[in-house]
Amino acid sequence: MLTSFIGLLRGDLRCGAAMRRALKAAVHHQRSTLLPSHLHHTHTSHLHHTHTSSSQTVCHYRSVTNASARLLGRCAVRRTCPTHLTPRCFLSVGPKSGADAAKLQLRTRVAVTLVVGAGLTGAWWYVYSEKQQMLQKQRVEQLRRVALGQGDFSLTDHTGRRRSKEDFRGEWVLLYFGFTHCPDICPDELDKLSAVVASLDKDRALPRVQPLFITVDPERDHVAALGQYVKDFHPRLIGLTGTGEEVRQAGRDYRVYASAGPKDDDGDYIVDHTILIYLVNPDGLFLDYYNRLKSEEQISESIRNHMKAHVKL
Amino acid sequence: MAAPNSAQRKACWGARDDLWKCLDDNKDQTGPCESFQKQFESSCPAQWVKYFAKRRDYLKYKDKMEAEGFSPAEGPKQGS
Repeated sequence: MLTSFIGLLRGDLRCGAAMRRALKAAVHHQRSTLLPSHLHHTHTSHLHHTHTSSSQTVCHYRSVTNASARLLGRCAVRRTCPTHLTPRCFLSVGPKSGADAAKLQLRTRVAVTLVVGAGLTGAWWYVYSEKQQMLQKQRVEQLRRVALGQGDFSLTDHTGRRRSKEDFRGEWVLLYFGFTHCPDICPDELDKLSAVVASLDKDRALPRVQPLFITVDPERDHVAALGQYVKDFHPRLIGLTGTGEEVRQAGRDYRVYASAGPKDDDGDYIVDHTILIYLVNPDGLFLDYYNRLKSEEQISESIRNHMKAHVKL
Repeated sequence: MAAPNSAQRKACWGARDDLWKCLDDNKDQTGPCESFQKQFESSCPAQWVKYFAKRRDYLKYKDKMEAEGFSPAEGPKQGS
């Protein structure tokens, strides 16, 4: 819209110039021609001719302009002699070299602006992505210093197979500590975890997440009990148990708090423990954690972002 | 004693929800809710019964705090 307006201005100026030339020519040749009186009220918006004689001449040479316009094919001038004179020209009327030179200048300017703009955008984008990478590296460094999940746990899974932390290198892991006799929190959290894994599974572009459940109650949660328990959740969920010491070691790695409550008559007890879901990346590095307040969507979104960031590095 | 499986958990939670609804309707009077209480106790392990009772107390307390606000307890009185 702006360009057409500019073109309009230029065109008008050139139209004006052309008209002035035509006016001179017309004045010379056809001064004596008279036109009906009602044309005295001609009004020209651009050329400011208001008095009678020139209005007559203006009116007359409009036909000259019309003819030249037809030849050049660019200046659309009203044919009916005048209620008002508003030549509308887009881009160029008049001597060809002047018009072309101006057009060339415009094109050059536009091209230069675009190139400079592209250059600046490229430079900015490069600097921005460098900064993002640096921030990401800093965060990874900080997490390394926190050193959560550094140790190598060695536990037995719910099928009786021995597993260590190394076995899960190369995979994204979602880890939850709990126990099978848990009244409501562990089932809720495991349901949430299963939903997160299922939702991420749907996206084939993303690597698969391995859900793990490590017990904080090894005395009761032996292999068979775990096998029964994990059946109710995601099919890929692996339950892990071991001796008291092995389990405590794994808990220590993740600074998991766990404390068995008093036993009742049946020997039943509840284990108070940290309720967190831990995210571990394929390098075995602890990346993030999610508490009870985080919804399934929030967790899925966070994991997707971590995965994208991981690939970039 | 094996842990409750998924079906047993759900049965226990259902009984608990029924009991709590009854208590809510009756302004926490245990009298009208005797049958629900018995049902709840038979559906859930003893530990869970105790746990859920404590949980209900906690939730009621939390609602009260949110609704009425609280006044901080006075600290130990300074000497003289």
